[in-house]
Amino acid sequence: MTLRIAIIGCGKIADQHIHAFSRIGDCEVVALCDRELLMANQLGERFGITACFADAAEMLRATKPDVVHITTPPQGHFPLAKQCLEAGSHVYLEKPFTITAIEAEELIHLAENRNLKITAGHNYQFTLEMLEMRRLVAENFLGGKAVHVESHWPYDLSDASYVGPILGSKTHWVRQLPGQLFHNLISHGIAKLVEFLGDEVKVTAHAHQSQRLKSLNGQEVQDELRVFLRDENGTTAFFCFSTQIKPGLNFLRICGPKNSIFVDNSSGTLLRLENKSYKSYLTFFAPPLVSARQHFRNARKNIFDFLKGRLHQDSGMKELIERFHQSIKTKSAPPIPYREIILTARIMDEIFAQIKNSVK
Amino acid sequence: MSEKSIVSQADRVLVTGSNGFIGTSVVENLLSRGFNNLRLFVRPSGKLEKLKKILEKYSTGKNIEIISGDLLSREDCKSAARDVAVIIHLAAGFEKSFAGAFMNSALATRNLIEAFIELGQPKRFVNVSSFAVYSNLKMERGALLDETCPLEDAPQERCDAYGFGKLQQEKIVRDYGKKNGLPFVILRPGAVYGPGKPDLSGRVGINTFGFFIHLGGSNELPLTFVDNCAEAIVLAALKPGVDGETFNVVDDEKMTSREFLAARKKAKKFFSIYVPYPFAYLGSVLWENYSKKSHGQLPPVFNRRRCAAEWKGNRYSNQKLRDRLGWKQKVPLAVAMKSFLAQYQ
Repeated sequence: MTLRIAIIGCGKIADQHIHAFSRIGDCEVVALCDRELLMANQLGERFGITACFADAAEMLRATKPDVVHITTPPQGHFPLAKQCLEAGSHVYLEKPFTITAIEAEELIHLAENRNLKITAGHNYQFTLEMLEMRRLVAENFLGGKAVHVESHWPYDLSDASYVGPILGSKTHWVRQLPGQLFHNLISHGIAKLVEFLGDEVKVTAHAHQSQRLKSLNGQEVQDELRVFLRDENGTTAFFCFSTQIKPGLNFLRICGPKNSIFVDNSSGTLLRLENKSYKSYLTFFAPPLVSARQHFRNARKNIFDFLKGRLHQDSGMKELIERFHQSIKTKSAPPIPYREIILTARIMDEIFAQIKNSVK
Repeated sequence: MSEKSIVSQADRVLVTGSNGFIGTSVVENLLSRGFNNLRLFVRPSGKLEKLKKILEKYSTGKNIEIISGDLLSREDCKSAARDVAVIIHLAAGFEKSFAGAFMNSALATRNLIEAFIELGQPKRFVNVSSFAVYSNLKMERGALLDETCPLEDAPQERCDAYGFGKLQQEKIVRDYGKKNGLPFVILRPGAVYGPGKPDLSGRVGINTFGFFIHLGGSNELPLTFVDNCAEAIVLAALKPGVDGETFNVVDDEKMTSREFLAARKKAKKFFSIYVPYPFAYLGSVLWENYSKKSHGQLPPVFNRRRCAAEWKGNRYSNQKLRDRLGWKQKVPLAVAMKSFLAQYQ
C-alpha cells in the first residue's frame, strides 16, 4: 500500500520531510500547500510535484491524501490538523504539537473518534542512540523504574539567520507564541523526559535573559530556562535549555535504581553507567578505562553505521515518519503514545505560565 | 551632474540592503552625485556604523531617511516604496536552505515590486543578482562567459540555495517587467571584494575541512572592487534606454586566483594546499555519486555543477557594461588591492 501524502507549509523543514520520504519508500507526495502559493511552487518545482495549492480545504478536496504532514509555524497546527482529521486524513504535526495542551487533547480526541492516527514531530526520540537507549530500558538495564532523569537542550545564538528576524520584529511568529523562543525549541528536550514520568507532574520553572541576548537587543525574549519536575511516584527530572553553555549540551541522563544510561545526542553516543565497585586504587584506574572502551565502541559503531548508510543527520525524522506510516498501514499503535504528547504539552503550558512575568 | 539620467537629483531613491558591504558604497556613490532624497532600508538587527559615517560625510542639505523593516512584510515594503522613483534592490539573504533563500530573495522581491507598482512612481527597478545564476557545465575551460551564457537549470543538483534564490528573484523581476511593464535592469556582479569583506571568494578556494584548499589555480577571477561595482549599480539606476537589460559586472584589470591568493598571503600568512582542477573534479564526482548512493547521508555540497561553476575557469567580459552604461573602472586594481589588503594588517 502506497501512502498518498500532502504537505501543508512549504518552508525549510518541508524539504527534510520529502528527503525522508524518498528513503522510506511506499509513499508519494501528491500535493503541496502553502498559503503563499509561490512557496508551494518552488518546492514542487524542485521535487517534481505539480499539485500545488494555496488553500488547505481545496487541497484536501482535490487530492484526498491518506496522510497530511503539517510543517507550518505552530499557530496553524491546531486549525489545520483539525481540518485534515475532519477530512479523513491522518496527521503528522511538526513540533511544537499545538500552542496549548487543551488543543493537543482536542486533536487526539478527534483522531481517536475518527479512527485516524496523529503524531508529533518529536523526531529526536528516534535517533539511533535513543533507540538503543529504549532497547536497554526494555531489557531492564536500569533495574527498575527511573529514579531521576535529566535533559539538556542547547541553542546557538550565533545562527543569525534564525535569531535575527525574531529579534528584529515583534510580529514574528515566534514572538507571538506564549513561550516565545522556548516554545518553538524546547519540546524535543521535554519530550525526552516524559516517557519516564507519570501523569501528575509538578513543575518549577525559572527563566531569564542572558547577557549575550541582552547585547543583541533581545527585548522581552528569554533564552535561559531551568525546570525541575516531580511526578506522583517521586521520579524527578531536570530540564535545561541554554544558549550560553559551550559546548552546547544535548543529552539525556536516566538514573535507575541499579544502573544508569547517558545518551549524548550531540555525538550520537550512549554510555552504560554500571554500578560496579572496585578495590582500593582501582577505583581511579578501572572506571576511566571502562569509559574509554565504551567511547571506542561508540566511535566504531558510528563509523560502521556511516559506512552502511544508516547515520543520516536526520535519521530520527526518517525513523519516526516510517514508524508512523507503518502504524497507519498496520492499524497499530502510533510511535509516540498520546499520553506523552499531551503530557509534553501540559508541562510546556505550566512552564510558560510560571515564567510569563519574569522578564523585567 | 553631466550624464543623462532618467531621474533628477531630487527624485526619491530607495536602496535596500543599504548598510551592507555593497550598499554603503552605493549610498556614497549616490550622495557624491548629488542625490539628496534617499530612503535607506535596513534590517532591524543591521549594524549602521559604516552607513552613518558616510551620511555624516555628506550631511548638508540632504533628505535622508533610514527605515528598518523586513521585506517579507508587505506593510514594510509599502513604507519603503511609497513615492519612490528608483529602487536599487541589494538586500540579499544568505540562507542555507532552499526555502529560506527563496523567501529572502524571491518573495521579498515580489513584495517590494508590488509595493513599488502600487505606491511608487516607478522609473527603474535595479535588481542586483549574481554570477551564481550562470552554468558553465557545458562550456569549455577558459571560454568567454558573458550575459548570453546559459543559466543554471538544476540549482538543486548544484546544492546552491543562494544561486536558486537569485535565479528565482530574476524570474520574478522579468515576469513583472513583462506583465506589469516594470522598468528594470538586472546586474550580475562577479566576485565583489573590498574592505569590510575579509573572506576570500569560493572561486579561489575553500576552508571546509579546517585548512585552505586552493582550487582556482591559474583561473582568471571575475573580480570587481566594491566601489567599481557600486558605480555600475548606480549607472544602471540612472542611464536611459537600458530597461530590460542584464549586465555582468567585472573590472577591466584582471587577476588570476593564484595571484590573488599570493597577495592575500603576503598581507597575512596562512596555510594552503593547491588542488588542480582535474583532481577537484574527480573528488566532486565521487562525492556526488556517494551522496546519491547513500540517499543524502553526505549532502551533495561538492558536485560536478558547482565544481565547474567555481573552479573550471572562464574569461569574463564587461564589454556590454562599458558600451551601454558607459561604465569605467574608477578604482585601479593596485589601489583596490591596497585598500582590500589593509583590513588584514
